[in-house]
Amino acid sequence: MALKVLAVDDSKTIRMIVKRAFKAYDCDVIEAENGKEGLETASKEKPDLIILDITMPVMTGPEMLEELKKDPALKEIPVIMLTAESGKENVVRILKMGVKDYMVKPFKGEELIERVTKLVTLESKQNEVEDTSKKYFSIVEDIHILTLPQNLDRPASVEIEKNLKSKVEAMVNTGIKKFILDISRGRGTNVTLIKLIIMVIQTCQQASIGIRVIGTAALSDELKGFAETSGITVDLSMEDAKSAV
Amino acid sequence: MPDISALDLRGFISGAMNEVFDTMLSMNIELADEGVHGNVGGERIVGSVGFAGKAVGSVSVQVNEAFARSITAAMLGMEECEIEGDEDVHDAIGELSNMVGGGLKSHLCDQGLTCDLTIPSVTTGSDFGMEIKGWERKESLVFRHHEQLALVNVYIKANG
Repeated sequence: MALKVLAVDDSKTIRMIVKRAFKAYDCDVIEAENGKEGLETASKEKPDLIILDITMPVMTGPEMLEELKKDPALKEIPVIMLTAESGKENVVRILKMGVKDYMVKPFKGEELIERVTKLVTLESKQNEVEDTSKKYFSIVEDIHILTLPQNLDRPASVEIEKNLKSKVEAMVNTGIKKFILDISRGRGTNVTLIKLIIMVIQTCQQASIGIRVIGTAALSDELKGFAETSGITVDLSMEDAKSAV
Repeated sequence: MPDISALDLRGFISGAMNEVFDTMLSMNIELADEGVHGNVGGERIVGSVGFAGKAVGSVSVQVNEAFARSITAAMLGMEECEIEGDEDVHDAIGELSNMVGGGLKSHLCDQGLTCDLTIPSVTTGSDFGMEIKGWERKESLVFRHHEQLALVNVYIKANG
């Protein structure tokens, strides 16, 4: 049965980030916009875990937690507090409230999952891995193509890395030896992109698979600015990459 | 009471902005040279949070609409065309100011200037100015991500 996670935050952005962090796991993430709504939802849904913001209108996180602890049916539900404030005084205050853990914003989805796995057991969603695979990987003729999204963030990078290993294994088993990494949709380089490019190239080279990178002239120039990627030749079109691979 | 004029506000805000952009958006930003005009141009979106206690003040983050959409898409891990509407963009910019303001608030509290943070608010428009008077410190920092600019303003004074 899917794990039920209740995300209580007045910011839709944060609720969506929490939801995305759990996307690869067999979880139902239910949402509430403030403590009052969160309390009502918790009573109705009996979640396995609550991710609770502190500063919210109507009823704050600490007020909701106080009510939660008074209810025998809800008081054992583990709570992870989210706070934008990392000050010592704030941290001490949070820990005194009886929460299991806390996270200071900004946080990465993987960090949240790491904390959550200390409290509950998360199971990967197999179908999700397959869907992700279809989202980024395709085959044209006898060439495997990995197309990176416009904004490559860490969760997407982790998902791609997970899929890449099985893709390369399958390529080795079927004798397909051509791979194209398409970064042309990207709006610019960042550390996540650089690390992923290097990882993809090394993985292909170790498996003796020919690889080419497609990008825009601007991205090509940016890659030249990093020591790790300065030697990479970037093809400016799919045709160029296909003929070179 | 700690001396507000001695606080390294520029260094702290710069660190907080870099951390938020790197962690939440996987975007690199850099502090522009002092003297670079922080006119972000076009339709502007300003996210701000206030703090009140032993220190009183506000932190605002101002970007133009195009950059705000890039930030929102990056924060939510989606393409810009998938953004549902202005509400999502405003919420993301409000949250961005909340994270930067939350970091500053913690810094102030650790320095003995205990204070509480307000819920973020968002202002949009193309033809408005902000004039706040009576503050002990005002810092304006301009950050650059490729061609896009983000302007951060901090106003602060001791209370009592």
